[in-house]
Amino acid sequence: MDATLIVYALNLSAIYALLAMGISLVWSSIGMLNMAHGATFAVSGYGALVLGELALPAVDALFGGWTILPLLRMAVLLASGVGVGALFGGVIYLIAFLPIHDKANFPVRGLIVTLAINLATVQALLWWFGPRQQALPNVFGFGRLELLGVPVRYDQAVTIGATALLLAAVLGWLRLSRKGLEIRAMMQNPEGAALSGISVRRTALPVMAVTGAMAGAAAVLLSQTVFVSPDAGAMPLIKGMIIALLGGLGSVPGAAIAALLIGVLEAATGAIPFLGQRMVLLVQFGFIIAVLVVRPRGIGGLLDETRK
Amino acid sequence: MSDPIAPVLHRVGNRRHEYVLAPEGARDWRRGRVPGLRRHWLKWRGRYNPRTLERERRLDDKRPLWWVIGLGALAVAAPLLPDQLLQVAVVFCVFAAINVIWTLIIGAAGILSLATMAVVGLAAYAAAAANVFLGVPWPAMFPIGIAVGLLAGGLLALPSTRIDGLYYALLTIGVAEICRVSISQIRALAPTNGSINNVGSFIPQEWYLQRPGLLLGFASAFLMLLAALLLFRVINSERLGLQLQAAREDEEFSEAVGIDYRRARLHVFLISSAALGFVGAYYAMLYQSISLNVFSLNQLLLMFAMIVIGGIGRAEGAVIGTAIVVVIDRALIDLGPLRIILIAAVVIAVTLTTHRGLADARAQFRGWRDRIRSERRAARTRKGGEFMPEEATGIADKQRIAYRRFDARLRARLKALITPELIEEHRRAPLGPHSDGLARVLNYFRRGEMPDKYAILQDGPPEAWRYTVMALSGVPGHPPRVVDDRVYSTRDEAYHAVFLLRVNDLLES
Repeated sequence: MDATLIVYALNLSAIYALLAMGISLVWSSIGMLNMAHGATFAVSGYGALVLGELALPAVDALFGGWTILPLLRMAVLLASGVGVGALFGGVIYLIAFLPIHDKANFPVRGLIVTLAINLATVQALLWWFGPRQQALPNVFGFGRLELLGVPVRYDQAVTIGATALLLAAVLGWLRLSRKGLEIRAMMQNPEGAALSGISVRRTALPVMAVTGAMAGAAAVLLSQTVFVSPDAGAMPLIKGMIIALLGGLGSVPGAAIAALLIGVLEAATGAIPFLGQRMVLLVQFGFIIAVLVVRPRGIGGLLDETRK
Repeated sequence: MSDPIAPVLHRVGNRRHEYVLAPEGARDWRRGRVPGLRRHWLKWRGRYNPRTLERERRLDDKRPLWWVIGLGALAVAAPLLPDQLLQVAVVFCVFAAINVIWTLIIGAAGILSLATMAVVGLAAYAAAAANVFLGVPWPAMFPIGIAVGLLAGGLLALPSTRIDGLYYALLTIGVAEICRVSISQIRALAPTNGSINNVGSFIPQEWYLQRPGLLLGFASAFLMLLAALLLFRVINSERLGLQLQAAREDEEFSEAVGIDYRRARLHVFLISSAALGFVGAYYAMLYQSISLNVFSLNQLLLMFAMIVIGGIGRAEGAVIGTAIVVVIDRALIDLGPLRIILIAAVVIAVTLTTHRGLADARAQFRGWRDRIRSERRAARTRKGGEFMPEEATGIADKQRIAYRRFDARLRARLKALITPELIEEHRRAPLGPHSDGLARVLNYFRRGEMPDKYAILQDGPPEAWRYTVMALSGVPGHPPRVVDDRVYSTRDEAYHAVFLLRVNDLLES
């Protein structure tokens, strides 16, 4: 496996980790399988597109000629994607979590409602923006830089770096802040957390917003190489979901490891001549089914207790 | 006697009439049976009407009637519809059949499998390919479809014993995608973009898309829907279904009484998959082609919306949900993407408001209404109110209800008799003779129930008796309690004190 392949694998893993950890985090803390994650992804892509068209000329005018201009443009796009993603997470919270979280049969009903939100959002985007694929403004061009003798495309470098920063920030927030403590308490024992005065409703909103923001960041980072389209969310949703499954639903470190595994697997499958890009999904599914048959609770089942 | 069921009224004692319930049971038990089986056609039950206390015959389960009305209306109305709506009816029948079989997998077997359309599509492709490329005649496509469905079901069932619940559901979402990608790889289908056309069919070529062809298509689809419903009934309510129901309620217990529920689940899964394979072969024949659209994620989501709207686990839910979604999706086609948003909105509204879909909405509403009523009743009783007979449906002994009603009326009349003059009359002569009004009041008091009945305690030395008022507990072995600390020196004073307490109780009730 040559070095560019490793970079490609890391790039994929970074995007997948952002998606899968969002799904895993929501499941482990509030017990909802968020099938609208793909919709958040697509909506944030369009949000970045619309807000970017508004804000980027102003940024260009203010900082024209500066060397860090591409980074600033990227920051503007990221901020708009993250903001829209967080807002959409709040919308999902209002529709799918708040009315039914204490009612009978919540896991299945939450799954159904978020699935319906996904369906409605994709159709609404199709209706509003049309089926045409649109490209986000390309910030970095197609240049490469040499890193330790390995040629890395600018957008790959930024994706890997930004994902690492974002994930570090989220994990740090979970580890160090008061809210993070509450969320971790809810992951370990929802009833115990409720008994010690942690409000499920107040904790769920930041969880949904943060995971929505992660999906938004993934959308902006991925859209440097892929187009924005109404059903752009379907594939990230399926990938994120199967990675979260592979990691053991609810296990955050498990999701990170699974994202790395699947990213490497996808890059490797694509590179092997007789398998090629079209068999990627098949190989991934075969791998995941094999792992789940051996370990029904995924990789996370090895690491820690997952939510049953 | 004209009607043996009507209550016969006899003269008993000095009461004017007494009900005697006609012990004529034979009429209630005259029910038709399905030929060759011990099942009854309808669930007739005999019972006593709690209001009128008359014997009556009641249909406990009215769903068969609704089925006959609904399906009959469809069968009668469809041939009169214009071509476009007739096609909608055909689509409804096909999807309803698929969803009823899917309900068997999800509801009866409890396997949350989303690979239904994958099985249907695989069987359709296999049958169509056999017909087009190998020249197999169309009747032989059905066994091919069934065999492929069985095979696909067997492969899908392998991980289902290891992986449970949501994990399995999420995995099976991907199966359709895998099928789509794999078939799109086949070189022979590349010129037609993955679809197989000109499949042989039971509809003659010259009738295709003509009125007779559409009518034949509808008739066959309707028969298939009936067959799917029969399959559901045979599996869900007979031995396999009962075993699985026991396993759904308590897995350990059903295992302990010897039910091999894993095997039962596998059987249901395989039977349903074979049935889905049949539907797949039929699907390819009906449209004389099969394309990759059958595997699309949106199609799967639409099917899922259908069974979710109706309610997972019930055949009527699957059919109702299919009807709603198919009408929105196919009949309102002018709305464009808006109709999918409408379907999603219906799904969200139904899921947020009902616990188990529309088919269960009536039972849920009744449960809610009964809860509200019982809460109100409890609130009234707490405040010292009375059960009114109309509400006291929970009291089996109707004599008690009648007595309460009588008692309430009597007390209302007696309250009007209580005046200061009446009390003064009792104070003057507690033991009588009394006026008519006072005698009536005292008669009522004497008939009072034993709990909390007042008694007079006489103690002290014989030359100076002291009288106090007690209240009996009414329970053997439990001593009376002292009502207050007042002491009376004569017996008449004590009599009058008890009378005042009684009057007080009467006026307060």
